[in-house]
Amino acid sequence: MCIQFRSGIRRLLMALPLFLGAATMANAADDEILIGGALSLTGVQAPLDEPGLKGAKVAVKALNDAGGLLGKKVKFINLDGKSDAVNVGNIAVQLIDKGAKLIVAPCDFDFGGPASREAQKSGLVGISTCASDPLYSSWSLGDKQFTLSMWNTTMGATAAEFAFNEKGWKTAYVVTDQFIAYTKSLSKYFVSHFKDIGGKILAEDKYTQGKQDFSALIARVKALPTKPDVIYISSYMPDLGAMIRAFREVGIDSPVMGGDSYDDPGLFKALGEKFGSDVYFVTHTWMGPEAHPDMPKFIKLYKEVHGSEPDTSFVATGWDTIMLMAEAVKIAGSTDGAAVAKAMENNTFNLLTGKLSYKSAKDGHAPDKAAVVISLDKAKPSFLGWRQPKNPPAP
Amino acid sequence: MSQLLQFTIDTLSLGSLYALMALGLVIVYGILRLVNFAYGELIMVAGYTLYLLSASPVPWLFMAFTAVLMSIFAGIATERVAFRPVREKSVTAVLITSFAFSTLLQNAALLFISPRARVVPLPDVFSQTVEIAGAVVPLRNILTILCAVLLLAGFALLLKKTVLGIALRAAASQFRMARMLGVPANLVISVAFAISGFFAGIVAIFWLGRIGSVLPGIGLGPLLVAFIATVIGGMRSLLGAVVGGYLLAFIDVSLAHLLPSNLLQFRDAFTFTLVIFILLWRPDGLVRGPATGQRT
Repeated sequence: MCIQFRSGIRRLLMALPLFLGAATMANAADDEILIGGALSLTGVQAPLDEPGLKGAKVAVKALNDAGGLLGKKVKFINLDGKSDAVNVGNIAVQLIDKGAKLIVAPCDFDFGGPASREAQKSGLVGISTCASDPLYSSWSLGDKQFTLSMWNTTMGATAAEFAFNEKGWKTAYVVTDQFIAYTKSLSKYFVSHFKDIGGKILAEDKYTQGKQDFSALIARVKALPTKPDVIYISSYMPDLGAMIRAFREVGIDSPVMGGDSYDDPGLFKALGEKFGSDVYFVTHTWMGPEAHPDMPKFIKLYKEVHGSEPDTSFVATGWDTIMLMAEAVKIAGSTDGAAVAKAMENNTFNLLTGKLSYKSAKDGHAPDKAAVVISLDKAKPSFLGWRQPKNPPAP
Repeated sequence: MSQLLQFTIDTLSLGSLYALMALGLVIVYGILRLVNFAYGELIMVAGYTLYLLSASPVPWLFMAFTAVLMSIFAGIATERVAFRPVREKSVTAVLITSFAFSTLLQNAALLFISPRARVVPLPDVFSQTVEIAGAVVPLRNILTILCAVLLLAGFALLLKKTVLGIALRAAASQFRMARMLGVPANLVISVAFAISGFFAGIVAIFWLGRIGSVLPGIGLGPLLVAFIATVIGGMRSLLGAVVGGYLLAFIDVSLAHLLPSNLLQFRDAFTFTLVIFILLWRPDGLVRGPATGQRT
């Protein structure tokens, strides 16, 4: 009710300049395009949003250095979403009030959704930097909303195909962290695809982030009739590192697999040389020229802007979100929401996180995107290549 | 047999950590009748000290020593910043200042270090295992138990045999009377916070030794555990905190082993149901402390 009231006022304010014939009411200057961000710098969402924000800032600088967009300067304002869904929504309203034409939404359905819904209400395109739950779709958020990330359907299925087809692992033990939607849906798609292609799930167990007690899980793995060929763990830091360590310490040496939450140098260091081997994960990209020829250029720019090397490849999702917006605006020739959304649906984009095209709004804006598989050996990651599953499970 | 042994060691090592956490919280509560909600951040401070020292060439023991020192320092700082200025005024004010101090420390870590998990250095012994009668046990768990036993014994001696200990106990039981008999209030309270920081520092070493990394919100888990353990054990008794800690670990580990996997995600619900039953049976907690006077 309150939000409706506010957005009503906003529409009125936005319409006023038209009637008055004066642009003085709008905050955004005519010679710039404002992109609004609601990424969280504090709270539980901060670890996921901060890298994206850093990458986005580099992209904005690169765009402006190359002459801007449609002859205008690109301006990017991010207000702290504070890991609070209501606050994220309010910030989106505030930014749209300021004249934002595009919205960068947080990297999660629960926290990013509110920003996208506000963008949709105002007829603007909103893109989440890396929300991978299939809930992040045009079905639930509207026909101008997208996520830059592959969906968990792809992320889970890629792991299943890599394990079964490439490695020949026939049996799996699955641990699912129950704390957030992302980890739950990721295991769901891994399990269903692994079964579809002929694998066998020996057992599934649940864990809740923060418990720090893995004794029960260890006892269960040891009690399995056969040693699992692979252990699929859908969790995230810091417990993820602790869990893999706990398994390895007691001599459970089956290979471990997981999703993009493994893509964190913190995990590699937490495992160390001793336990950081035989770990495989599916993620967005790889910070080297093998993944994309432009990657070294991006890393160089990143260092210029932030003064240090990126500490996770998630920074590339922020860069890509801005670049994807810019490409689509160029094709559309304007920042009009409907035109930009159309451009995004009808084109293929060559991004640092892979080639990306979207299905139509009717099909949920499902991203058609490949994933990167990375292996860890003695805590050193190496790039195994791009993979795309044949028939990922339906969301 | 080996399973039983495994279970016992798991329970004892987790219980030792819980007991130390609870003791650190209750030592301050005993004197001030106030829960220090910035207690979890003392663990965080020790964790980030380890992280910041990890690049330096100093031996690990020195890092751990510095981390515990920093935690003690942070404990004393909590008292100076959040408690002392408003202690005489109102309970609500202290409650709010302790929350504020906690938020301040967390956000400082967020801003100046990173919201992402940072790895803490661990010595080799922390990742070694020993085999006892067929059970593979991380050496770290045995070290935790030994360390807790030593600390608890040492702390008991301190309380019983030294002037400082007697002053602490007197302050915990009748603060106003103790002051009248010449126990310096500020000193006793500062010492209580320092001891609280010391326990938090030791807990940090072993707790982070399990996790392997530190992040700004790391203190919330231990704070909750400590709080629940003291409630079960009896908020007025130091012994109660220790009993509560071991009991909570026993409940946690048994449920983890006994519950079928589809109920495992609701383990907390089972734990807290048991806690409620314990409190219905013993509303003051398991161990009754000495009769107490008014808060200062």
